[in-house]
Amino acid sequence: MKIGVISFAHMHAFSYTKALLEIEGVELTGIADPVEERGRKYAEHFGTVYYQDYRELLKQGLNGVIVTSENVHHKEHVLAAAKAGVHVLCEKPLSTNIQDAQAMIDACKANGVLLQTAFPVRYNTTVVRAKQMIDEGKLGRILAMKGTNRGRNPGGWFVDPELSGGGAVIDHTVHVADIMRWITGTEVKDVYAEVDHLISENPIDDSGILTMEFDNGVFATLDCSWSRNKEFPTWGDVTLEIIGSEGTLSIDATSQKLHVYTDESGYRHHAWGDGMDASLVRDFVSSISSGAAEASVTGEDGLRALAIALAAYQSSEGHRTVAMAEL
Amino acid sequence: MLQVLVIGAGTMGRAHAAAYASMPGAQLIGIADIRMEQAQQLAEKCGTRAYPSFEDAVSDLGTERINVIDVCLPTPLHKNYVVMAADIGKHVICEKPLARSEEDARFMIDYCQEKGVRLFVGHVLRFFPEYVKAKSILDQGGIGKPAVIRAGRGGGYPIGWNHWYSDFGASGGITLDAMIHDFDYLRWCFGEVERVYAKGLHGRHQAQLDYALVTLRFRSGVIAHVEGTWAHEGFSMNLEMAGTKGIIDYDSAKDSPILFKTRSNAATIPGVAVPESPLARSPYYRELEHFMSCIRDGSEPLVSAEDAYEALRIALAALASMDSGEPVLIDNTTPVITST
Repeated sequence: MKIGVISFAHMHAFSYTKALLEIEGVELTGIADPVEERGRKYAEHFGTVYYQDYRELLKQGLNGVIVTSENVHHKEHVLAAAKAGVHVLCEKPLSTNIQDAQAMIDACKANGVLLQTAFPVRYNTTVVRAKQMIDEGKLGRILAMKGTNRGRNPGGWFVDPELSGGGAVIDHTVHVADIMRWITGTEVKDVYAEVDHLISENPIDDSGILTMEFDNGVFATLDCSWSRNKEFPTWGDVTLEIIGSEGTLSIDATSQKLHVYTDESGYRHHAWGDGMDASLVRDFVSSISSGAAEASVTGEDGLRALAIALAAYQSSEGHRTVAMAEL
Repeated sequence: MLQVLVIGAGTMGRAHAAAYASMPGAQLIGIADIRMEQAQQLAEKCGTRAYPSFEDAVSDLGTERINVIDVCLPTPLHKNYVVMAADIGKHVICEKPLARSEEDARFMIDYCQEKGVRLFVGHVLRFFPEYVKAKSILDQGGIGKPAVIRAGRGGGYPIGWNHWYSDFGASGGITLDAMIHDFDYLRWCFGEVERVYAKGLHGRHQAQLDYALVTLRFRSGVIAHVEGTWAHEGFSMNLEMAGTKGIIDYDSAKDSPILFKTRSNAATIPGVAVPESPLARSPYYRELEHFMSCIRDGSEPLVSAEDAYEALRIALAALASMDSGEPVLIDNTTPVITST
């Protein structure tokens, strides 16, 4: 199976590509990147061919492609892949607006290719186990949820709205919003949010608290702030606490860690849990090889999560609750 | 020597009575509770006298002997007893929340002022050393400019006299009864609140559970997330302040200096873990000692009745937001009288 990677703009490209190489029967056909220095560096690192133009890569008879370009370029790359009949794994957020996300979904459908949104947290072993406990009914009826997905300010193109479409809210809402949808099996009905630029020097949103109400009456909050500073012992967190009629369930997806104290780098967490990126890539490859009708995590899932982030921006600007139906 | 009469021998009455019993400069001269047995038990423990009612205590002790009346009763009873105490010219300490409604709280504050007695409200979180320390780091610029704050508290569903906690009209649930601690503390740290948005379990689920998630937007720009739970097991509280230059993080469940665990003695009886965070002087002691000293020298308290009133307005705004599904603006245009 021939797989290519379009752009190393997003750092996840590295772990996805590494995961590809570990899958038997997969050939890393090439890496396309408009930034020649970056593209050549990683192509050399992974022992594959460098393409400056992604169109050239798409002509190499690929079965699948991983799109890890800047958010605003997802659409162009996914549409081109769909047209070339290549299955796509696209980095989150799927897009920066609903129209583009819908166009991507439609193009993949029309060309009969899979569109998977890269939501690695769905493959986190801890999260998968928690979902299983909930499905077994241990929690009873879900009543409320409290989530966090905080991190450091990633800098670079992430803080340039022309390329990212937004800051912390678009970057960090989608993971846990997707998990909340997945766990409850229902959709968000409305969103309220307080969003602002309070922490970094870059003039982009870095602080956000969302409140969501789901169709079934469950309510939830999500802290998506880039509020971890450089001395914080790790990059950030993914947590979700669920209040059920029969009990509570606290998920801390990155809590499998060592506390390491060194004179050189101070106090740091070192994770030892299962990696999630490899499972994500493996699942994409297996959906292609099994001829699945749909990816396990679809473009539609990506759009729904993106819509929640966009509703948060709208809510914060207008100081009002925004119904998802308005979008 | 300030002579104190405690009204109510419940959880708060016990905490306050224990503090007075060991406090130089204060004397616990009586405990009144309509549950005479409970009053007697507590009085015996604290070396004082028990009374079956406020009236009995006042007539037996005589109004001259009483300097302070400390009201540790369920919220809906606060107003009557504060008024009764003010009527006989005694300074009042009242447990939080001051009242169930803004009107009652305003009435109580004004009434005490008219009667020339002082009114103190037990927002004890301002006397918890970990919260005091966090504010001092914040005030010294230790985390730069504050940005995103998270606070939370709770545990199991409280069992009170006559199940008054589960009467929402009386207690206001977790939001009014417990989260008001955090509202007051956060307002102390970050100033006035501009907007409140909240969701809660009240009205959604019938069982004895309450859970609320509240977002506060301060005029300063600070965003705070406050969680209140009566849906967990075992009390804990937490606070995180993230700013432009640092983070302060505290979780009583994670940092427990003492954890006593009983061994399970049969396959069917599990062991129990009991955490403790001992202090030479409890936060209740620190609070009440401070109020005593304010009474003695006439100085302003660290937390005024007006502060308690403002915290109540935030809690009521949260309840209003839960009802309307929209954010509620805190009207800060009304002039605030700062003296008590």
